[in-house]
Amino acid sequence: MRRLGFFLVLGFGIFVARLAAAHHSFAAVFDGDKPVTMKGQVTDVEWTNPHFHFSIDVKDPAGAVTRWRFEGYPPNMLVRQGWRRDETLMPGATVTVEGWASRDDATLGAVRWVTFADGKKLAGGPPAGTGGR
Amino acid sequence: MSTRGGLLFFAAAAVAAVTAPLAAQQSTPERAAPRTAAGKPDLSGIWVATGAILLFEGEEAFAAARAADAAAGRPPGNSNETPPYNAEAEAKRQYFLSRRGIDDPMARCLLTGIPRINFRPLPLEIVQLPDRVIMLYEIHHAFRIIPTDGRPPPEDAEPSYLGESSGHWEGDTFVVEVTSLNDKSWINGVGTIHTEDMKVTERYTRDSFETIRYEATMVDPAVFTRPFTIRETFRLRPGERIREYECIESNEDIARFERLLQQGELPTEKAP
Repeated sequence: MRRLGFFLVLGFGIFVARLAAAHHSFAAVFDGDKPVTMKGQVTDVEWTNPHFHFSIDVKDPAGAVTRWRFEGYPPNMLVRQGWRRDETLMPGATVTVEGWASRDDATLGAVRWVTFADGKKLAGGPPAGTGGR
Repeated sequence: MSTRGGLLFFAAAAVAAVTAPLAAQQSTPERAAPRTAAGKPDLSGIWVATGAILLFEGEEAFAAARAADAAAGRPPGNSNETPPYNAEAEAKRQYFLSRRGIDDPMARCLLTGIPRINFRPLPLEIVQLPDRVIMLYEIHHAFRIIPTDGRPPPEDAEPSYLGESSGHWEGDTFVVEVTSLNDKSWINGVGTIHTEDMKVTERYTRDSFETIRYEATMVDPAVFTRPFTIRETFRLRPGERIREYECIESNEDIARFERLLQQGELPTEKAP
């Protein structure tokens, strides 16, 4: 069983490596080795191509607020994942964002998942390295 | 039931629970491809490359699609494989990798060339008519009109991103010869360059109702040490439609890449 677990992990590693090999602009801007999870209040949403963007205000334990900006799927893919421009992600909502940090910009990230207050979780962008344009 | 017997029972039940759905899947014969009045397989429909299933439906569906391909004897997709470059071309590829892929024409919203356009994670609609096959790509609103009436390639063709395609049937396989490609597009990953002399032969075989086996063989002696073949399975997407994708609208990458170069983050000398 332990061996099986090892091979499953190995297989997954190869799978992820293959995805990373397909990278283009993702790796130019984001770092698949820098996963981030941020909870905060949505301040604005840009429903645009080739990526949508949104920002959230993230409060640290001391109460200081940092505004993070995230980049994700274009609208055509968001709609396929169940998003609606005027309903899903609205300013004022509190959400948890999982993704990866930018290489060069301290408060920019690539979004993979967004979890909403009611527990609903939607894909907001592709896995690291696939680009997804 | 003894403890040991009980354990065996549960182990057998667990194995059955895991393998039953797989066995059922394997034993279900795939539906045959539809045919046109002329008797050829009809490629018409909306399709995505199997790699895109990961984004459309998640990891489980993606793994199931790959397993179904293996069970049906379809070759595994290899759209991420690096072309067999000679030393000079490989040095160029390494240069583009060292620049983190910022030179990717696609990242600048330029038309994605052949065969790369077929692997993008956005759907493609194929419309098969008696004298031509039309391919409508969601990415970049690209289209190809592929004559099948035997006409010769146009004499005034200039190199372009999608080149000139002409199609014919070999048995149940639709074969497309692509020529007049420019050298501005990449084949699959970062830095996968080619010259204007690259010839691509694509083969589309609708081997079941749900699938097309796709194969693209590229010949480009100036950069490859041998012909290079990429394979992938396209999957039918019932209920899908081609949506708008206006890439250039708000592409922040162009400004980011300029900034990276100005800040000296990346090599700026010319390609080898």
